[in-house]
Amino acid sequence: MLQTSNGNMNQSQVENKRSMLTPEQSAELKQWLIAVALKRDKKSFALLFKSFAPKIKSFGFKQFNSEALANDLLQETMSLVWRKAHLYNADKGAVTTWVYTIMRNLSFDMLRKMQTNKEDCLSDDIWPIVDAHAADVDTEEFADHLLKQQLAKYADALPEAQKQVVRGVYFNELTQEELAQQLNIPLGTVKSRLRLALGKLRQQIEENS
Amino acid sequence: MIKHHPKHELLAAFVAGELPAALNIAISAHVELCDECQQAITLLTQAKADEVFSIEDESVFNNVEVDLDDDFEDLMIAQITSQKGDYVDEEPTVCTVEYAGKQVNLPRALNSVNWAKFQGVGKLSRARLDLDEGTVRSYLLQIGAGGSVPMHTHKGYEVTVLLDGSFEDEMCSYSKGDFIWLDQSFTHSPVSNDGCLCLTVADDAPVFTQGLSKLLNPIGRFIY
Repeated sequence: MLQTSNGNMNQSQVENKRSMLTPEQSAELKQWLIAVALKRDKKSFALLFKSFAPKIKSFGFKQFNSEALANDLLQETMSLVWRKAHLYNADKGAVTTWVYTIMRNLSFDMLRKMQTNKEDCLSDDIWPIVDAHAADVDTEEFADHLLKQQLAKYADALPEAQKQVVRGVYFNELTQEELAQQLNIPLGTVKSRLRLALGKLRQQIEENS
Repeated sequence: MIKHHPKHELLAAFVAGELPAALNIAISAHVELCDECQQAITLLTQAKADEVFSIEDESVFNNVEVDLDDDFEDLMIAQITSQKGDYVDEEPTVCTVEYAGKQVNLPRALNSVNWAKFQGVGKLSRARLDLDEGTVRSYLLQIGAGGSVPMHTHKGYEVTVLLDGSFEDEMCSYSKGDFIWLDQSFTHSPVSNDGCLCLTVADDAPVFTQGLSKLLNPIGRFIY
């Protein structure tokens, strides 16, 4: 728990905590996670895994006092990182915060299962993952939940190259420049893929409405 | 207008996942309605994440390629990356409860929780949440218009989150979203003029302190 004597954590204390990770390291983590999100890049995932594994294991060991369960927590946490990477929204917080949330939620449900014989998995409703609120603050054109979900479905049906740019720009909220750099393609290509993809999406929406 | 919030220490423990489920649910219910505490939670989560993943430890976020040949971990990585990255976040459903002739939306934190049937005495009616946490007991509590809870104090703590309506006690009047923490240093007798729906969590039975209502002590467990 955080040590605060007066019940108020001021900004400088937060800054202090955050400085434990250098901006370069934070940027590196973000780059790896985005590469997993966009390209299912296994090398980047391995780097993420190696960065977080010792800490997740020691966190798990403190929680469960068992190496086997600590390894379970590691596997479950990193599985969700892999499977949910495309839902990470860089605007909503650091990679460490996102991974911590996933790990804390899993660990809470595991502990509860051990202590109560309940398998009710309450954590994701108690601590909604940061990206769950993304829809609420999106631009007005995506204000409608159903439309957004529908769009996500159509976007998934796009050819891989187009899907990458749509996901990158609209779901991970990267700029087109960042995306070009990340995918290692010219900016013009990003723009033309995006144009094609949006045309296709528009067409599908018109056909289905 | 929300005026009563969880203490900072309680929010920190919430973020750290150190509290029983019932308290987590009560705090989450408040946070869902309170922008101020939502912002505090964001900062606290960030700070906690940095603490847990801090680089004080020599091996982390440094020379990550040094032990890339660890067989066990490589096996785990291979196993994980053979899965599809197709996770879809489901839209959370909204649960409702009928009270005072209307449907009221319940906090998201209750989505996966079951509760028993509402049972009432006079203007009080409550349903126990099925959380199975020993001495920590939690309820949905309805107070009908004009209803009140007899003067009582608590052996442990009692948390009330006001989900709908309003009530008042000797200290304050409370409105939707308020998070009220009481312990044995407080004695109170809540009255609700227009009726209300609350989520309550208590870690021990209340102790009634005045006159005839002392007789209620044996059934104190009924009230909260």
